[in-house]
Amino acid sequence: MEDDPKLVKRCLAGENSAWEILLKEHTRKIFNLCYRFTGRPTEAEDLTQEVFIKIFQTLQTFDAAQGSFATWLNRVARNHLVDHYRRTRKDRLTSSLDDETGVMEETPSPAAGPGIQVESRERRELLQRGLDRLSPDLREAVILRDLSDLDYDEIAQVLAVPQGTVKSRINRGRLELARVLKRMEGMKGPAKAGGAT
Amino acid sequence: MTHLELENLASEYLEGQLDAVCRVEVEAHLKECAPCRELIADVRHALELCQSAEELEPAPWLISKIMLGTVGERKPTFFEQLAAFFRPQARMRLAYGIAMTVFSLSIIANAAGINLRHLTLQDLSPRTWVYQANRTGHLMVARAEKFYYDLRVVYEIESRLRQFRQGSGQGTGREERQTPKTDSPGNGTTDSKPPEIPVLARVQGLIDAPADFSATMLFGAGTTRSSFR
Repeated sequence: MEDDPKLVKRCLAGENSAWEILLKEHTRKIFNLCYRFTGRPTEAEDLTQEVFIKIFQTLQTFDAAQGSFATWLNRVARNHLVDHYRRTRKDRLTSSLDDETGVMEETPSPAAGPGIQVESRERRELLQRGLDRLSPDLREAVILRDLSDLDYDEIAQVLAVPQGTVKSRINRGRLELARVLKRMEGMKGPAKAGGAT
Repeated sequence: MTHLELENLASEYLEGQLDAVCRVEVEAHLKECAPCRELIADVRHALELCQSAEELEPAPWLISKIMLGTVGERKPTFFEQLAAFFRPQARMRLAYGIAMTVFSLSIIANAAGINLRHLTLQDLSPRTWVYQANRTGHLMVARAEKFYYDLRVVYEIESRLRQFRQGSGQGTGREERQTPKTDSPGNGTTDSKPPEIPVLARVQGLIDAPADFSATMLFGAGTTRSSFR
């Protein structure tokens, strides 16, 4: 399989097929990153599209010597997501119900049984709600580390902060997420128990 | 080790990135401190939740949508165009087109009297085509006419008509009866002119003909069926 810098060169030479290969390779990751940030599949799709349009327009600025294409792509996506977060802050404060139900729109994997699907969806929703409660700095650090599987060095490049800061943010983010999840599960547990009796 | 120090090392401890000394210190603190044990368990649970979270599949049209938003309508390559051209449907269309062209050309060549096996330079001249087409046309008309007169059913109809006329107008055609018969239609060649006198009139003149009457009536005056062919 051809590596990303070569594909980028072919893209710059006007080969649309190379661009299509890059898209097929990275769309899923960027979509998931966007989804983890927004919690809504439709919004994540729009953001993914916007990110790739931005990437396409600035493809000539990519320098393979400064890092991998995936890292550069994540950095552009992260910056775009932060911009989007700032832009839509007011809207988010006013909307509440949509945020909660947006996650339900996704299609469950047909291979899994109904019970597993429900359980998987519940866990995903729980995690998403937990991530939504984190501050953007901590959230992006946790997402990049624990959901996008980037290493500390890559995250430092994406976030343009020192590695020590990355480690600190990831640690604080995880602690905060653990507390939030515990609180949410604690609220869910008695409610379920109450509902059962 | 304090609670705060442990909190700061929680991620590294869970990822196994602490050196041996630090690790021992953390584990020693955890043995004594229940809240910190609980905290580490919660963080581990959060990490497990993150790791078990499945990646979502984007909508299948997303890539096409992005392609459209970036490079626009994708232009197919030369090979893709070629492949598209030879797709089964296109193949059928092509075969049909070729067949129709060959068929049309063969009709034109046939009408122009061009022998494709022995093609000469003269055959390529439009004048020859016009001449040959004209000749072939006339030959076809003459043959069709001869064929028509050669048909038994035509003869039968004309014979009945003749009898009917005879029955209705006896005595009026005495002179006509004595009129010698004219050229037979075709006169045995395909280049001959069609008969000037209508067949019915000639048939009427042959009503009192002698012994060869039947043959004459059947195959036309002065000719036989075989002579038309």
